[in-house]
Amino acid sequence: MPQTTTQSKYTTVSIPITLHDRIEKMIIKKSGFKSVSDYVTYVLREVVAMHETKDVPEPFTSTDVEEIKARLKALGYL
Amino acid sequence: MSKRVAIIGLDSVPPEMMFDKLLDKLPNIKRMYDRGIHGDLETCNPPITVPAWMVMMTGKNPGKLGIYGFRHRRGFSYSDGYIVNSTTVKEDTVWQMLSRQGKKSIVLGVPPGYPPKAIEDTEIVSCFITPGQDKQFTNPPELKQEVLAAAGGKYIFDVTFRTEDREAIRKELFEMTEKRFDVAEYLAKTKPWDFFIMHEIGFDRLHHAFWKFFDPKHPKYVKGNQYENLDEEYYKMVDDRIGRLVKLFGEDTITFIVSDHGSKGMVGAFCVNQWLEQQGYISFKTRPTKMTDIDKAEVDWTKTKAWGWGGYYARIFFNVKGREPTGVVERKDLEAEKKKLSSLIMSIKDNNGKQMKNVVFEPDQLYGRAIGDKPDLMVYFDDLNWRSAGTVGHDSLYLFENDTGPDDSVHSMMGIFIMYDPSKNLNSKILKNAKIEDMAPTLLKMLGVPSVDDMDGHVLSEVFS
Repeated sequence: MPQTTTQSKYTTVSIPITLHDRIEKMIIKKSGFKSVSDYVTYVLREVVAMHETKDVPEPFTSTDVEEIKARLKALGYL
Repeated sequence: MSKRVAIIGLDSVPPEMMFDKLLDKLPNIKRMYDRGIHGDLETCNPPITVPAWMVMMTGKNPGKLGIYGFRHRRGFSYSDGYIVNSTTVKEDTVWQMLSRQGKKSIVLGVPPGYPPKAIEDTEIVSCFITPGQDKQFTNPPELKQEVLAAAGGKYIFDVTFRTEDREAIRKELFEMTEKRFDVAEYLAKTKPWDFFIMHEIGFDRLHHAFWKFFDPKHPKYVKGNQYENLDEEYYKMVDDRIGRLVKLFGEDTITFIVSDHGSKGMVGAFCVNQWLEQQGYISFKTRPTKMTDIDKAEVDWTKTKAWGWGGYYARIFFNVKGREPTGVVERKDLEAEKKKLSSLIMSIKDNNGKQMKNVVFEPDQLYGRAIGDKPDLMVYFDDLNWRSAGTVGHDSLYLFENDTGPDDSVHSMMGIFIMYDPSKNLNSKILKNAKIEDMAPTLLKMLGVPSVDDMDGHVLSEVFS
């Protein structure tokens, strides 16, 4: 049933009206985001992903980066 | 819907190789093809391993992921860049969504998979970007010792490309793939799972390093060469391993064989930056006389309007005032400049004076919204038959060797799709119009897990009927 599916995908969170209005004003100027919800979801995903991965050390050392670049180059990707 | 789901991901396999040329020589895959559903799987733009597997596993286009290739510019720097890794992917993959519903997954080698993310109920072995086996390349960490043991003490993430040392590449290629399947069998047998996915990079390496040897249509093909049947030999070895693996999966598993893009013979490399110089877009303080990376060339940025990156497609960046460190193109003129350059690109001819079939995309128009470190323009030279050479200092705009290493193939837009359910005979049903981003919602539906709202992919309803 479509309605149930839609309900299970979204929930409502509260943010101050002033913040909502500021975001709305900002996204009108910058293209891309269709709505305040769209923008808030994007920002929260970024922040949550950052926290989820904060315990993971920097993936590549500078030596790793040079080696990987050389490999990717030899493979034709760069 | 209590069946398990497995994906065998074969990087860069085109329908022309798997379905047209070699299928009759591959008894296990042919059985799955004959009893299952098959079709072409249209890849994303750009048709590159990174981002393609993440498009497949998130159901979202590269613009939404903000991933346009293996390497990105850092912000608007002229030379600073970074290698895309697992943490660059901010959107949820199928196995992350499954984990939240308490379902267990095995994820072997799916790129970009390094560093392995800590995801509950998910056994992860990282991908070919992993710097080496001394690194922490598994989740959970203790899985590493089991992987090494299953691989006979030495696991191979990727083959090393050495200029013209094809024999060493061949040997390592077979060894790497055998080890991957050894590990796949070990994981599938010993770990509990609802969803299994493995990725094999070997096909991509086989195609790039050996295409001219096995494709009679390639301009450099020599009849009777020692690698003439290497494609068949490698595909058959994998077919045998797939046969073993699918048997091990058992009757309660639906198996997919998919690829992330296709491959075809490379015609040559087009020197995009030398062409931009000819058109007055790039100015050098000192013009390089031997092959030099554009990042290392003495570019006069105060007189340069746009430059490009090499790879299987070209990324073009404008040098915009207030955006780049010493930008020259006024922001208000950027759209007009993009249009002007696009039209010049569309008029490029090949080495024989024949019009190339070039394609130019603007990321925001292509994806709806493009985040991250995106190029201003994306260019395919002659329907991808020519790769883009970013280096400068060549005598000609046209190179007939890759400027960066041994390479005989380029990427194409169609990959493969096979679905096989051991309990059903679907009589080689044909799937039409399937796109790579359709895989994620289809897999989630199959596993009974709700999909997310903003996927670009759609459920492939034919696989359920």
